[in-house]
Amino acid sequence: MVDALYPRVGQAAVDLLEKCGATVLVPEQQTCCGQPAFNAGYRHEARRMARHFVDVFAPLVETGEIDAIIAPSGSCVAMVKHFYQVLFAEPGHERDRDRAARLQPITYELTEYLVDVLGVERIDARYPGRLTYHACCHLLRELGVDDQPRKLLAATDGAEIVGLSGADECCGFGGLFAVKNAELSTAMGRRKARNIRESGADTVAMNDVSCMTHINGLLARESHGCRAVHIAEVLNGSVDGDAKRALADDS
Amino acid sequence: MIVDVGAPYRRRLEQALGDEAQRTAIERATARLSDQRTKALTTVDNPRLRDEARAIRQSAIQNLPSLLEELETNLTANGCQVHWARNAAEATSIVREIAEKSGTRRVVKSKSMVTEEIGLNEALENTGIDVVETDLGEYIIQLANEPPSHIIAPVIHKRVEDISELFQRELGMPPTDDPAVMCAAARQRLRRDFLGADMGISGCNFAIAETGTICIITNEGNGRMVTSMPRVYVAVAGMEKVIPTVEDAVLLWQAASRNATGQNVSVYFSISSGPRRSGHADGPEEMHVVLLDNGRSRMLERGYGDAALCIRCGACINACPVYREIGGHAYGRTPYNGPIGAVITPLLADDPTSYKELPYASSLCGICRDVCPVKIDLPRLLLDLRSDLVESGSTPRSERVAIRAYTRSVESPARFRRLQRLARIASRLPVLPPPLNKWARTREIPPVPAKSFQQLWSDKREADRGESGE
Amino acid sequence: MNSSMLDARTDILARLRRVLDDPRQMFRGPEDVRRPDVPMTVTRAEGDPLTLAKVFGENLEAVDGSYEIVADTGAVLKRILERVRLWEAESDQPQDSNGSKSREILSWDPDELPLPSIGQYLAEADVDLFVPDDLHDDADRKRAAAASIGLTGVDAAFAGTGSVVLAPSKGRSRAASLLPYRHIALVPMSAIYPTVEAWLSTLRREGRLGDFVRDSSQLAFITGPSKSADIELNLTLGVHGPKQIHAIVFDDRQ
Repeated sequence: MVDALYPRVGQAAVDLLEKCGATVLVPEQQTCCGQPAFNAGYRHEARRMARHFVDVFAPLVETGEIDAIIAPSGSCVAMVKHFYQVLFAEPGHERDRDRAARLQPITYELTEYLVDVLGVERIDARYPGRLTYHACCHLLRELGVDDQPRKLLAATDGAEIVGLSGADECCGFGGLFAVKNAELSTAMGRRKARNIRESGADTVAMNDVSCMTHINGLLARESHGCRAVHIAEVLNGSVDGDAKRALADDS
Repeated sequence: MIVDVGAPYRRRLEQALGDEAQRTAIERATARLSDQRTKALTTVDNPRLRDEARAIRQSAIQNLPSLLEELETNLTANGCQVHWARNAAEATSIVREIAEKSGTRRVVKSKSMVTEEIGLNEALENTGIDVVETDLGEYIIQLANEPPSHIIAPVIHKRVEDISELFQRELGMPPTDDPAVMCAAARQRLRRDFLGADMGISGCNFAIAETGTICIITNEGNGRMVTSMPRVYVAVAGMEKVIPTVEDAVLLWQAASRNATGQNVSVYFSISSGPRRSGHADGPEEMHVVLLDNGRSRMLERGYGDAALCIRCGACINACPVYREIGGHAYGRTPYNGPIGAVITPLLADDPTSYKELPYASSLCGICRDVCPVKIDLPRLLLDLRSDLVESGSTPRSERVAIRAYTRSVESPARFRRLQRLARIASRLPVLPPPLNKWARTREIPPVPAKSFQQLWSDKREADRGESGE
Repeated sequence: MNSSMLDARTDILARLRRVLDDPRQMFRGPEDVRRPDVPMTVTRAEGDPLTLAKVFGENLEAVDGSYEIVADTGAVLKRILERVRLWEAESDQPQDSNGSKSREILSWDPDELPLPSIGQYLAEADVDLFVPDDLHDDADRKRAAAASIGLTGVDAAFAGTGSVVLAPSKGRSRAASLLPYRHIALVPMSAIYPTVEAWLSTLRREGRLGDFVRDSSQLAFITGPSKSADIELNLTLGVHGPKQIHAIVFDDRQ
């Protein structure tokens, strides 16, 4: 999703990593980790995509060319770290399981890597405006990552951090759920949008573009004046504080 | 009742999402219960409690056959009659026979999801027996002729006004919205039933193998009434409820109480081991226990052992963001709803593809797993059920086709780039193809940029190479 | 058991054995878990008997029960009578039995209560105890149902949760702590344990636990008055069981 819809997020992630001293390589053969298919129950198809992912990244790890795999996405990282073992659990997939197992300990979500591995405590980021944070479910509950993004946001210059009621509650995207159960997904998202409005923030930062797309989709329909932005863009300073103007830019 | 549990899934959702009054009631109640639970768990070592509760439940399932035999031996030695039922039909037939042999005309029941599961009330009523639900919530929905919508709080979907109206109509109660007055009206009416009933029926929270004991948790006292006042007492127990020792039962009682309502313990924990002993003034003269399979062995055969660990506390239901929007009746004609219901309802059903929408009625947010006192990995079970449905060919054809097409595109970078170009074109169409059109009904579509991140990246690398004169 | 049920039993057990003997991944967590030999003690309470009595009382009060600790054992009988008088004078009485109120107290047999001569003391104060013989007998049942106060001892009490446990026996009806609107529980301090787990552990150590549970026919753990929160989560007391439970705690070691 980042690749096709939000190249700026990808760029911001690269910029942040480089700012913090990492050398970044973007393997050009990569496509999708396979999560959408896995979530929908299509394990055979998900395995094919997972195999491709492993084919792209494992050699780079084996040759020592890379020592970590970073994604600006909690759900993709959870897929690799937790669910590849499920996908390759059946007999006959031992080789893929072993190769995937070698990737798991070194796969990180962006803010997780910045804080836990690179030891970053603050990024020299500026964000003039009222900022709040929505905790994406996979990031929070599968990966246990929550302090790290909050810490980095809190250290952003100029930002007024406001609390978000129900920040830990699911926004309702849920992968295919968003279209298979569109009305239910919308009801959950509207609740999130209401909380965002009540927080008074003009930007809500989050770590997954999937949640972001769903939330922005609803905020735009309600002519909100607030919008959801990927945390990489906030930390990278590639977002301005004028939400309305940016909304106009996007459309 | 606005949601028709017999209607198809889409219709049930539509009705549920459209019922503002119900959504308000459910939101308030589940938030309150969740808060109470959180408070109650700050005063115990919850991580340890969860580990132990899980270990007790899991090892019980792993030893199920020998525990069931031990339970049966001890119940029998205590003077109980033990019956085995493979399915709902056998179970209801057993209870009907007990009723007939004992000349039962009136039954009082305490709250029991398992008896809802097997349709016991209807089966007894069909033979002319009067069945009275005595748990206040169950009594209310019985008056309203509705099924329960939550395993702990059956009438969570009704407001005070709704209940008052119902009592005025059915009990001739004068108009009031004072819950104390309403409860007094119910108490008075039900007191007569307790004292006049021939048979009491309960479910079973835990069955203790070492002593032959059926444990039930209540707060109202109807559990004690139902198991003490009538001459005949029948306990219907899902066979997965058995545990080895009295100490296990006491631990699980406390875990269930705290997680269900935030009470340290329920007001009453009534543990019955047999009919009244000679010389006792009260107690049943006959005690029967029906051990029920009804899909539980099939659940294990399909590999869903985690689902059998459930102690029916309802914490997952109270935490679930989906349940909060749609309530319990939207899950259909099943007493089990919310996250655990979405898992066991399809598993216990005879046809594994019935209720096939339920495993998909979740965004997999994972909060249910976080709150479960026995650490059931509910999201994982939902994923497994989804995979089973795909394997059995039960998912929509258009969806399978779309996923396969996506997979092919994703396997090759070149095809992936083509897909991205297609997406860009599609996003500009006035009408989107399904299933994306469902998105667009309520949400804006983000614009698809001209170049993907990878393209920009590779452009940049070429430019860099160009600059450095390669 | 008839033959079809024998089939059901055989089928079910065979099916379970088949699936459980097959080594497979049945759980979404570690397969080999060790159950605790003795499950943890969930609540905490400690101290000398008087301290435990206070903790018991406070926890009972926290769940809408009431209690008093009577320091002078000689005064316990008087306190019981006072409580009875207080409750008789309450305007809030249940409409349980055709509106007719009985002044009898539904009670355990006085010989089963933890105080000698209580029956006599109350009789002299014109308070009659009704000890039912057989509640399946209509006359006994009607009479029991008419009582609005119940009087019992306890088998044990638990400080950590404010709970009591009662086992029926000859002279100790279940009904006395269940049917009446208000219930007086006489709790000698020797019956108070820190927690339910501590009590179980004592019985277990003495080799008495299994028999005690089995032979009881029913153990009733009671923690406060009857409650319901079914009507929009509004708390109401006395839905079916007693609306009030009052524990009179006294030192019986003298």
